[in-house]
Amino acid sequence: MERARGVEAQVATRLTIELAELMRGSDRARMLAAADALGVPELLKKQTCSRSAQDRLFALETLALFANYTDVVERALEDRSPDIRLGAALALASREDGPNPIDIVRKLRIGEVENSLLLVSLMSDLAERDPVAVHAMLFEDSVPEPAKVAIIDALADRGHTHAPLLASIAKEGASDPELRPRILRALGRTAHPSGAAAIEAGLASEDWRVRTAAAEAAGRTALSQLAGKLGMLLSDGQWWVRFRSGEALLRLGKPGLGVLQRAAEGPEGHARKAAIALLAERAAA
Amino acid sequence: MNPDLLDAAHAWMSAGAEAIALVVIATGLMQTGFYLIQLIYAAFALATRPPVPRSGTLWRRYSEQAPGISVLAPAFNEELSIVESVRSLLALQYPDFEVIVINDGSRDQTLPRLVENFGLREVARYVDEGVEHAPIRGFYASSDIPRLLVVDKENGGKADALNAGINCCRSSLFCAIDADSILESDALLRVVRPFIDEPQLAIAAGGTIRIANGCKVDAGRISEIHLPTNFLALVQIMEYLRAFLMARLALGKMQALTVISGAFGLFKRQRVVEVGGYSHGTVGEDMELVIKLHRHMRDLGLDYRIHFIAEPVCWTECPDDVRVLSRQRARWQRGALECFVKHKDMALNPRYGRIGIVGFGQILLVDVVGPLVEVLGYILVPLLWGLGFLALPWLLAFLAVTFTLGVFVSIATLVLEEIQLRRFTKARELAALALVAVVENFGYRQLSNYWRLQGWWQFLRKQQGWGTMTRKGFRTS
Repeated sequence: MERARGVEAQVATRLTIELAELMRGSDRARMLAAADALGVPELLKKQTCSRSAQDRLFALETLALFANYTDVVERALEDRSPDIRLGAALALASREDGPNPIDIVRKLRIGEVENSLLLVSLMSDLAERDPVAVHAMLFEDSVPEPAKVAIIDALADRGHTHAPLLASIAKEGASDPELRPRILRALGRTAHPSGAAAIEAGLASEDWRVRTAAAEAAGRTALSQLAGKLGMLLSDGQWWVRFRSGEALLRLGKPGLGVLQRAAEGPEGHARKAAIALLAERAAA
Repeated sequence: MNPDLLDAAHAWMSAGAEAIALVVIATGLMQTGFYLIQLIYAAFALATRPPVPRSGTLWRRYSEQAPGISVLAPAFNEELSIVESVRSLLALQYPDFEVIVINDGSRDQTLPRLVENFGLREVARYVDEGVEHAPIRGFYASSDIPRLLVVDKENGGKADALNAGINCCRSSLFCAIDADSILESDALLRVVRPFIDEPQLAIAAGGTIRIANGCKVDAGRISEIHLPTNFLALVQIMEYLRAFLMARLALGKMQALTVISGAFGLFKRQRVVEVGGYSHGTVGEDMELVIKLHRHMRDLGLDYRIHFIAEPVCWTECPDDVRVLSRQRARWQRGALECFVKHKDMALNPRYGRIGIVGFGQILLVDVVGPLVEVLGYILVPLLWGLGFLALPWLLAFLAVTFTLGVFVSIATLVLEEIQLRRFTKARELAALALVAVVENFGYRQLSNYWRLQGWWQFLRKQQGWGTMTRKGFRTS
């Protein structure tokens, strides 16, 4: 196949990523081989040095589709733009020949410069490729706390295998109060009973955001032994706590419904209002 | 009469006339200087803006991590357009969102149309009481369209309807829009970016509003972009370019943004609840909310960001007849003055940092003093020159400041748009806008200042109310 030049090369480059997203399997491999033969990767390699961050990001994301350009994409982890660094990390994360997870964490300067929610996607992809290395980062002192929380979120999405580990982290508590609700919510997503003690402690927190996350986790984990405590939180001063507690009670089934029905007939204004409305919502659904 | 006395009186009059001209010219120069700084900041903001991934990439990346958004669409007597507007909102590209339409006591068929077209039935909903609003009469939803909730409430105005929406939403973020505006399908994906990049810092973000007059609308989407043929609508395109591409982009970069348009803004719900939501009894409720957020975060001593993003686009219909436009401009002026007076302790107060100095400095210069001084200049400077109390250079300086620099700022904004965004694809359109940028200075600008003086007068008389915005509806194919 003849190498494309000028406008043709530009069009082929633009089309590569569009088509790659539509294709899978052998079709995609054939399309990428054709793009390689047209000289698309070489053009993209030049674009990785462009002054425009937009062009660099496009080039890196497309180049990561090809087999032999990992080193070029890896160099972008040192780029001056944090968006490019994160884009390169995301592009490299699932590649077998990508850099070590801990190197990526260091180069992104997580917690210092990088705090994106996309770190969870990054950790999830890294955990898919190298679960042991990602797991080990949780016990590495040099790994900043926001990176650990992203790892926790990612591990929670991968099922309940990591639940006991998450529970122990949640029980010890994160030093940053902003991060504790995220840990509890992650624990809730695993729906594993080993988190019960941490969730119960969260229900008694002074911080309403922690109480809210703990109530949500209690419902998702179906901790029916906490129905009474959730019932008490129906009188909480914060609407979010009342709402998540009521929602959790509905998830608990019979014990939760019992608590809600008693609250609906009880004297406490907040609790009665929440219970009546949430029971009516459930009946309508 | 004693000639010495006459000479003295003339000298005194000349000195007075020169003082007036000096004030007018100095104010004009300060305004223009401020605009030039804004232009530089806007150019810098556009040149260094983070790379924007393609929509497909955005979707792939954000599909798991994007926080839920409640889109709040207040509707009052919108029976003609509400069904199409809601269909368009439900078709937005975003992983996790709900549309909450707040029927603000419409007296027409807005609610029955919604109920009938979307197969809604009355439901129960447990809602917060964090912010104040008029009583809610009922909730309507359908299990077939779980993303849609209609809230029927007693009439209380747009701010009141938005407050009801805030109480009803169950997402950490809400997007306030006008029900009759059209959002680009990926606008939410793009405007949410600061909340993903800096989740601890971002509390609000606004996007660009563009004028849809002249464009063709198909199934609730802009299918063809054209310039309007109406002169007033054309002039407003230039005004919106200056307001969004220059002023808001620059003030956003300076972290001194004082307004996020009521037609399209994304907010962290909790922070808005903490400041009591939208204020009642003001026509500048969108501006006031942003100022309250600044004040709240500064008073708490917390680090935060309020962003303006050039890419997300919301299309809106602008008034194209003089009566409606004059009412709108007087109302905007009144809104700015109400906000300024309500938060006057923040003005030029170092305790409020950039928002006190730059943000309020801009309101003071452009909205408070600007129209008064400019109209004073139009009347007095030529008059005093005609009476012989001012020398010709003063008149020329006034004209240069008012017209030459005004044209320069407009053309420079157009150039910036063309270099960075290229939204106008035809050379003919750019030429038309360049012509408008010149012509608007002769007649329209003076008229606009007159409307702003009317706003001043309404503010002094404590006049309330919005007036009527008569919409013609989008041109559908």
